[in-house]
Amino acid sequence: MENNKKVLVIDDDAQIRRVVELKLRKQGYHVVIAMNGEEGLQMIESEQPDAVVTDVMMPKLDGESLCKQTNHLKKQRPFLTIVMTNRISPEDRHWVKEMQDTHLMEKPFSPTRLLGCIDEYFRRSGS
Amino acid sequence: MKVQRIGIALLVLCIIGVTIVSTALIRYEKRTRSRDIVNKGRYLVTLIALHSIKDFEGNKRSFFLRTLHDYIASEGLAYCLIHDHTGQPFVVLDPYKLVSRIPQAVQLKSLHTMGLTDQTFHTSNSDQTIYEFAKSMFENGEQTGTVRLGLRPPPISLFSMERVGLLATIAFFIFAMVPFVFLGIKVALRPLKNLRAKMENMAGTSMPVETSAAKVPRIEDVIATLDQSLGLLRERYKRLETANIESQAKKGVIAYERKQIARILDAVHYGIIITDTHDHINHMNAYMLNLLSKAPGDVIDKPLGEILEHEKILSFVSGEEGVTQKTAQRDIETTFPAHAPGETFQVTLSYLDDGDGSISGKVICVKNITNQKSVDRAKHEFVAHVAHELRAPLTTIKSYNEMLMDGEIADSETQKEFYNTINEETDRLAGLIENLLNMSKIEMGSLTTERELVKTDRLVKDCVAAIEAPAQKKHITIEKKLPDKWPSLVGDKELLKVAMINVLGNAVKYSPENSNITLSLSEQDHTIIFDVMDQGYGISEEDLNHIFDQFYRSSDPHISEQTGSGLGLAMTSDIIQLHGGRIDVQSTPGQGTHFSIRLPREDYRLGKQ
Repeated sequence: MENNKKVLVIDDDAQIRRVVELKLRKQGYHVVIAMNGEEGLQMIESEQPDAVVTDVMMPKLDGESLCKQTNHLKKQRPFLTIVMTNRISPEDRHWVKEMQDTHLMEKPFSPTRLLGCIDEYFRRSGS
Repeated sequence: MKVQRIGIALLVLCIIGVTIVSTALIRYEKRTRSRDIVNKGRYLVTLIALHSIKDFEGNKRSFFLRTLHDYIASEGLAYCLIHDHTGQPFVVLDPYKLVSRIPQAVQLKSLHTMGLTDQTFHTSNSDQTIYEFAKSMFENGEQTGTVRLGLRPPPISLFSMERVGLLATIAFFIFAMVPFVFLGIKVALRPLKNLRAKMENMAGTSMPVETSAAKVPRIEDVIATLDQSLGLLRERYKRLETANIESQAKKGVIAYERKQIARILDAVHYGIIITDTHDHINHMNAYMLNLLSKAPGDVIDKPLGEILEHEKILSFVSGEEGVTQKTAQRDIETTFPAHAPGETFQVTLSYLDDGDGSISGKVICVKNITNQKSVDRAKHEFVAHVAHELRAPLTTIKSYNEMLMDGEIADSETQKEFYNTINEETDRLAGLIENLLNMSKIEMGSLTTERELVKTDRLVKDCVAAIEAPAQKKHITIEKKLPDKWPSLVGDKELLKVAMINVLGNAVKYSPENSNITLSLSEQDHTIIFDVMDQGYGISEEDLNHIFDQFYRSSDPHISEQTGSGLGLAMTSDIIQLHGGRIDVQSTPGQGTHFSIRLPREDYRLGKQ
């Protein structure tokens, strides 16, 4: 079940990284890992992932800033961003709406739903 | 009615006047006539007595009697008697038959007179006064006889022609004088009348209502009115004096109460401005004056806009005019950057009701809510942190469990790892909840904490037992430096255990494998010192400033890699403080950390709680 899509997982919680990595890898995704926002920002540019799964509350650089700083890249090379947050606030919905190809997912999350969301994106984009 | 009375009064006055004048005239005439009769009588009797008694004998007597007879009507001659030397009547003229009615005493006195006598008498059967004159007749030095003469005064007529004229003149003058006198009195009484009116005004309306007749300014009336007015004025003065004393007392009470209210308003820890209906300042309390750097004299009776140069508050205060529900309080949040930079204030507006529903002014309260806001913010952050911390293990548990349930994990090694993680996260969740409960207990302070005897040997043993397993897992050796004689403490054993396990647990958590941890317990100057030294990664200087803050998590990878709630050390510090002790930390990154907990030694006494 190999596919050539690269997914970047950014989370300071090792257990979350682990479970997401396992789930996606099992479906044939190529998974790369970042432990905080700053590292994630560098890897979006260096790894050029097709999808990014990121936490919001992280040391060094939070998920919101990360999304805002990388949104302009999507004009040339679109990629999916899934923002995983503990609680979806109206403010979160507001800023996420401004971002291209960005979705919110509340924790605790279902790995299957996360995978479904990523699969759905790639199916729609037809790649 | 008035004219009739004046007429009657005038008539009475006239009659009285005429009567008085007539009586005076009659009395004067009587006196004059009496004097005339005496003169006439003396003259006549002397004239007759000059003659010799012989001159009245024979024909001379009848001539004499005829001559005398003429005097009877014209001069009032009543009788004439000439006695001889023996006292026998010699010549008798008695036209009115009066001689027999002359009293004996009068006759005797006349007959025995040697000179001239005159006397008056009343005849026995009438009131008429008779004047009798007597004189002795002498011839050659010898008494030859006595002449007695009676004269009767003529009746006085009140209404003789001349007198009626006089009386009419008098009456005319009286009538003529009356209007002048009346006018004169009226003019003379005018000031008194004015005075009376003024007195009535001064005395107020309590004066008796007067009849129209009494309006004639009689002096007694005026005096009575003045007296009455003075009485009323005295009464009124007394009343006023009493009222004045009462009002002075009330004024004193009001002044005291006003001061007291001002003191109360000054004692409160927020600003108060009271304005009137025109938004002029009636009162500003000490807090507000201090905030605006003003003196009371600078603000009283000044327009609010002149003193409070604060657009937001002014538009808030004036914009409320249209509000229909005046009783409703409204508030805004604002700042005073010029006077209190960085502070947040809540401005509340309420209306002063004067009792009948109309607005008599406004009360503007200015409260510093900076602390309240920061407390609110802290509470909000705390709840958000707690939610985050609770969700983290739940997220792991849910996702790991789902993977296992879906059969995604094929190899048994990974399955075991997943089950272990779920187990650990469940413990973490339970520990977090336990910590939250402990924190709530600590926040309630001494109300909920126990004060019991804590044996330090037991405490250390329990704490070491709690960390032995994870320490062994990392091959960490725990060195113990313990006293021979264990001191005792008084406090909440469970909370103290939580505090010490947190410190020891951190030492294990943030130390590399195969390192040493030293635990020592000692006593110094009634203080029990519990030291924990590790050879771990150490804490940076920046982190040292925050390690006791709630939910603070270091960004150091050695620390952030490990799970933690950020509550442990915050809670430890609170527990130690609650027991009257303190916690210190020294650390060198890369070398290790030294935590030192100091608690006051206290011997447990029975009955002490």
